[in-house]
Formats: sequence, C-alpha cells, structure tokens
Amino acid sequence: MDQLRNKKPVPWQRACHECDLLLTGGLAPAGQKLVCPRCRCTLHRNGNHSVYYTIALSLTGLFLFIPSASLPLLKFSIFSFGAENTLLNGVYSLYKAGFIWLASLVLFCSVLAPLGKFLLLLFICCGSAWRVLDRAVANAVRWYQHIKEWGMLDVYMLGILVALIKLRDLGKMDVEPGLYCFGAMMVLANLSSLSFDQHAIWQRMAQRPTRPEAAT
Amino acid sequence: MSTPQKALKNGLSSCLSCHQLIILPARGGRCRCPRCDSRVHGRIDGSLMLTWALTITGVLLLLPANVLPIMSVIYLGAGEPSTIISGVMQLYNSGMWGIALVVFVASIAVPVMKLLGLVLLLVQIQLRLHFVPSQAMKIYRVVSGIGRWSLLDLFMISILVALVDMGFIAQVAAGPGSTAFASVVVVTMMAARSFDPRLIWDAYDGDLYATAVEPETAHRGAAENG
Repeated sequence: MDQLRNKKPVPWQRACHECDLLLTGGLAPAGQKLVCPRCRCTLHRNGNHSVYYTIALSLTGLFLFIPSASLPLLKFSIFSFGAENTLLNGVYSLYKAGFIWLASLVLFCSVLAPLGKFLLLLFICCGSAWRVLDRAVANAVRWYQHIKEWGMLDVYMLGILVALIKLRDLGKMDVEPGLYCFGAMMVLANLSSLSFDQHAIWQRMAQRPTRPEAAT
Repeated sequence: MSTPQKALKNGLSSCLSCHQLIILPARGGRCRCPRCDSRVHGRIDGSLMLTWALTITGVLLLLPANVLPIMSVIYLGAGEPSTIISGVMQLYNSGMWGIALVVFVASIAVPVMKLLGLVLLLVQIQLRLHFVPSQAMKIYRVVSGIGRWSLLDLFMISILVALVDMGFIAQVAAGPGSTAFASVVVVTMMAARSFDPRLIWDAYDGDLYATAVEPETAHRGAAENG
C-alpha cells in the first residue's frame, strides 16, 4: 500500500472487464482489435466506419423484419389439410394451449429482442449526432448490452431446419418466401451486432464541439 | 511496473456496460457510470452466492425437464408423449443421426456442460484449488457463449405446434417438460451473467474478496464523512 501511494500516477486508460488488469492503451487502432494480454479477451474491435455500417445494416434488417414477420415461413400439409407457420402464430398457439411462460419466452427471443436490437442500434448510431439525445443514447447503449444475448434469430433458424427435417416423413413440407427474408434478417442481425462498436459512438459524442457552458 | 496491476486495488473499476474506467468512491466502492449510467461495482455484488443459487435451481429444474414429456405428436389419434431424450432417439433411429446429434448437443449436452462448468468454476474459486486461470477463463467463455443454443428445442416446439394443427389427423402439443426446460435455459443464462470472471483472477492472485479500500483508508474515509 505504501509502495502504491508513493508511486506517481500512471495514466491508466482501461481495465479489462474480464480480468481487471489495468492497461495503458485504451483503444485499438483502426481496423484492428485490442486483446487483453493476460486473459486474451477482446477488449475493443475497431472496425472501419462502424457507425455507418451499423446504420445501413440495422435499417435493412428493420425493413426485412416486415416481410419475415408477416409472411409465412413454412407450410405443412397432410392430404388436403395444410397449416402455415409465421413468426407469431407459433407463439399464439402456445399461448392458446396455456403455455404462457413458454410463449412469452419464444416471443421475446425471436421477435421482441431482435426487433429491439435493430431499433436500438439504429437509434444509437443516428441519435449520437445530436447533443439533445446524449442521455437517451447512453441509456440505449446500456439497454442494448442487456438484450444483446437474448436475440436468438440464429437459434430460431436452426429450429426451423430441425422442424423441417423432423416433419419430412409425416407430410409435405414447403418452404415459403418468408423464410428467405427471415434468413437474410438473421444474417443482418449478426452482421449489425458485429459491426457495432460502442467506442465509436462515445468518440463521436465526445468529439462534437464542446458546450458553451462548462461541464459540471 | 512489471507486475500486473489490478484495477480494484487501485480504486478503479471498469464499467461492465461501456468499459469506461472509473474511480470508485472511497466508501462502499459502488457508483453509477458517468457515461452510460449503469451501476458500477468493483465486483458484481454477491456474485458467487447468486451464481450458486441460480446454478442449483438449474440443476433441480433439469430433472423435470428431462423426465417430463416436452411434446407429444398425435397422428391419426395415436401417439405418445416424448421426452427430450426419446426425441433424440427417435431422430437417430429414423437414420437422421446428423440432426439427432445437433438436437442432442443443443438440448442435453449444452445445459449439462453449462451447469457442470459453472459448478467447477465456483468450486475452484471458493475452495481456492490450484487451477490455471486461462483454462478457467476458457470454461467461462464457453459457458457464457453456448447457453442460448439450448433454446433450439423450444423454438422447434413452437414451430411444430403451429404447423401440425389439424385436429384429429395430426396434432402436436407441448408438454409440461418444455416449461421446465425453458426455465433451465433462462436460469443458466442468468447464472452465467451473474458470474464475475474477475473473481477467477482474484482467487488466483490469492486475494479473494479483495476490497477496493484498505482498512486504514476506509477509516479515514469514514472520519471525513462523519
């Protein structure tokens, strides 16, 4: 402790969030990533034009959300009876059968969280241009961190594939146009969360001309 | 300078949400991040206790999840409820071993491995066993990364329930096991979230429950405040 107190302050920039190691380098150079020397966790991935890529990807994802939520994904028929699956009617059937907890979990992970991720990313990247929205953008970043891992479009896609194969010998299974939109949306969801770099947002917010009055 | 410096020992901490480096307040060591307004603490409060609680809940829930039927396919009035394991066996017996493997990994191997991994990490830290921190970190990353894939079975059930709904001819109904299974997945994901990997390194360095403030500083802080 004495040794610590007598030491000159070191310009620490960052602490690894997984092993608490103090580091003097804060951000990765453009196009590269910063890795913790002790625990090898990726601290920062500095993609090129992260903000603009994320805007483009999440906007496209949002547009694709409309057909993939409204068009049927799969169609299954035995003899002349047929039924279709959309993103929402599976949830509705579960809800009708009394599995409310299951229905809400599926609804959250396959519809609400992915939609929320797209909306939050779009809001964060566009909103960081205006000072009025600073507080809201900061909150949005926090929320994004919370719901990030609950968006499970890729898992849902695998579920579709398993269902497709499982029902193959029971009846006739058709792939509907909604599934292609859904697949594209899944790819976009992953790409947009990959390209999103929150440090680019913080930098963008910090690099605006300073307020006329001093910060408190 | 060559020895690695820990943030908490220097009264600093990284915001877990936005990774801003923050000077912790002298007393309590807890504050809000000035940049993103999320709670910042030197270590997640009661991390080990919370993770234990959620892990044990997960283990208990794993039993009904595997014993009770998760769904039943009724075809022309006949059909029996199937559990997770019998669903995998059915796929395997009909020759689709690739899909059987995927379902097996996602709905049996992943939850079990996850709970085992969490118990291993917790035991290593609490009993201060000799372990290699880089291996423990690998376990932690696998545990926190794979959890979401176990929801595969539930998504499949929700798709089947909507697709196969033709009254007498064929119908798929979800079973009570699926509720338990959904809870297992949610509980283990929360357990992985509440586990603070920085405790691995604290245990390795030999100062578990490291506090941000040394006793004398704490005393001084109290005197200033009081």
